[in-house]
Amino acid sequence: MPTRRLFLAGVAASTLARASAEARPVIVGSKLDLEGGLLGHMMLLALAEGKIATESRLGIGPTSILRAALLSGAIDLCPEYTGNAAFFFHEDGDPVWKDAAAGYARAAKLDYARNRLVWLTPAPADNSWVIAVPESLARIQNLRTMVDFARFVRDGNKVKLAASAEFVESAAGLPAFETLYGFRLAARQLLVLSGGETSATMKAAADGISGVNAAMAYATDGALKALDLHALEDTLRAEPVYAPAPVVREAALASYPKIGDILSPVFARLDLASLRDLNERVAVEGEDSGTVAKEFFRARGLIR
Amino acid sequence: MRAGLFDKRFALVFGSNAETASMPKVHDRILLGLFSLGLVVIFSGGFLNCAPNRLATGVAYPLSQAPALETAAAMIGLCGLAFLSLAQGQKLRSFATILVAALILWGSLAGAGRLAAILMQAGPPATRASLGPAFWTLASVAILALVDAVQRGNFSFPARACIGAAFCASFLLMAATGAFDSLSLAREFLNNRGVFVNELLHHLGLVCAAIFFALMIGVPLTVLVLRKKAAGGFVFASLGILQTIPSIALFGVLIAPMSRLSELLPLLRSLGINGTGPAPAVLALTLYSLLPLVRSFYTGFSEVAMEVKDAAAAIGFGWRRLFIVVELPLALPALVSGLRVVTIQAIGLASVAALIGAGGLGTFIFQGIGQYALDLVLVGAIPVILLALLANFIFEMLLGLARRNL
Repeated sequence: MPTRRLFLAGVAASTLARASAEARPVIVGSKLDLEGGLLGHMMLLALAEGKIATESRLGIGPTSILRAALLSGAIDLCPEYTGNAAFFFHEDGDPVWKDAAAGYARAAKLDYARNRLVWLTPAPADNSWVIAVPESLARIQNLRTMVDFARFVRDGNKVKLAASAEFVESAAGLPAFETLYGFRLAARQLLVLSGGETSATMKAAADGISGVNAAMAYATDGALKALDLHALEDTLRAEPVYAPAPVVREAALASYPKIGDILSPVFARLDLASLRDLNERVAVEGEDSGTVAKEFFRARGLIR
Repeated sequence: MRAGLFDKRFALVFGSNAETASMPKVHDRILLGLFSLGLVVIFSGGFLNCAPNRLATGVAYPLSQAPALETAAAMIGLCGLAFLSLAQGQKLRSFATILVAALILWGSLAGAGRLAAILMQAGPPATRASLGPAFWTLASVAILALVDAVQRGNFSFPARACIGAAFCASFLLMAATGAFDSLSLAREFLNNRGVFVNELLHHLGLVCAAIFFALMIGVPLTVLVLRKKAAGGFVFASLGILQTIPSIALFGVLIAPMSRLSELLPLLRSLGINGTGPAPAVLALTLYSLLPLVRSFYTGFSEVAMEVKDAAAAIGFGWRRLFIVVELPLALPALVSGLRVVTIQAIGLASVAALIGAGGLGTFIFQGIGQYALDLVLVGAIPVILLALLANFIFEMLLGLARRNL
């Protein structure tokens, strides 16, 4: 009797599971950071506009957690940066990641072959690591690009950079800048923070906390303008390209093949300037990222 | 003649006698201490911090810049604390302290709200007015004075509940009329209003699930430890080691084995159990709950005197009756205390769960840290503190009931 009951329960459970797999909404995830929230809201909005049922799991956690959630099937779709694929597949020394198109193609190929994950059309933006200095310093010392910054450091001027441990140690981070532009920052010229968030580093440079006058930042950081910081242009291309793109599980894409067509016009409109503006509205003006996403859609005619 | 009468009355109220006639005697050092703390911070710390936007460094405004009525209320209330510390008569002092605390709270809350509204109108639209150290100190001084007065005043339980409800209702009424809408903290909250209830429920869900599983595992473990003393050392040692693992590490360590488990067992996967999300969070919280739970349950039952049990057995109690009528009531206070510790600990620790995708109030805390937005951190942290206080209050009541039944 108990075995029979158990068997029936098992059958019921498996039919339930199958039924839910068919009608299953697309679970959209994102990182806990600000841009993750923005891109996540945009995906939810676009899918809703395309009549695809969604479930929101925005703000799941840092990159590693979001990646684990996507691989395990806890989420179906999330925004990811092409440059991060270099770390996922331990290829961060390879120059291919410095080219937007080639890096995207490599990420898409590797992730599909190994994990059956599909990279959809990326945004024409690059959220790579940059070094930012206060606008006043940039004006006085004429610092516009990384070439200028390297000269400034070599001339023995007072420089102190606030950055995350990852940026300082990773081969694709500060060492890449130093090698390509030919400068070297000593340990006492660095203020190393453990987290990867740039708000604290930028705040330190803007306010001159502990003598900091340069900060690690992301190219699309919304706070750069508000904190009056100038992002030094990586003219010689030391850094990998971090283009945001939607990444979707093949199974979810098979159930809803339209996902690609729905998301590509959205990401196509996200260039560096728009991303910076949108990030700024959330980071600096403190608007809600869902509202900002919706207004962007209206302004660009993506929804009525 | 008149002066003499006043002196006499003064002496009556303030307990001065011949020796200390020139200097009134302090009857409540706590109130005097709170007054001094409030006074020092009012003059040294900013009441409101106003910045042109959410990230910029702002300018501190002292309490004196707030509208006169509210400033006066807070200052008069604060001086009232000093005055009351000299008053004799416990009951009267407690009653007056509650009124004075209400005055300070109203003055600082309404003052902050109105000053923020004024600053917002004067500045650009992205202007942010955040509560400063002087505000938080004044509010804490008022709340501490209030709690102290309620405890010392020996009020009945319904009276305490009424006082608490009156303060909460007044606060909510102020909030509903938009008194705080210009404050940065309120704006962060309103921005996240849509997800707030969801995350709050997530947080409570994690805590309840963890306590449920901790009881499911902890009760049999307690029975084992009570029956077989030899197992006790091993059980407590292993639970002790679990307790020493830093929370972020335990949450992180569980991801890999849980993912593998869900890959191997499709049933788990279809139930949504995998390496990230609520499952590992509940597991980690359960593991942390086990040591305090089993230890207090063990203590509760092992401290029931052997003589009592023998006497009950001698008058013919079976084991079931012995357990229900004798052991359980005697151990109940320890069991409730154990649950109290476990619940409060889980409410705090569940904040970390946001890092592994389990949601909860920690989401706001970590978003706030990442965006350097202290007020967003508070949107997550204040409810966590309030939940812990509420749990503490509920368990205190249950403890009172458990003791009364003895």
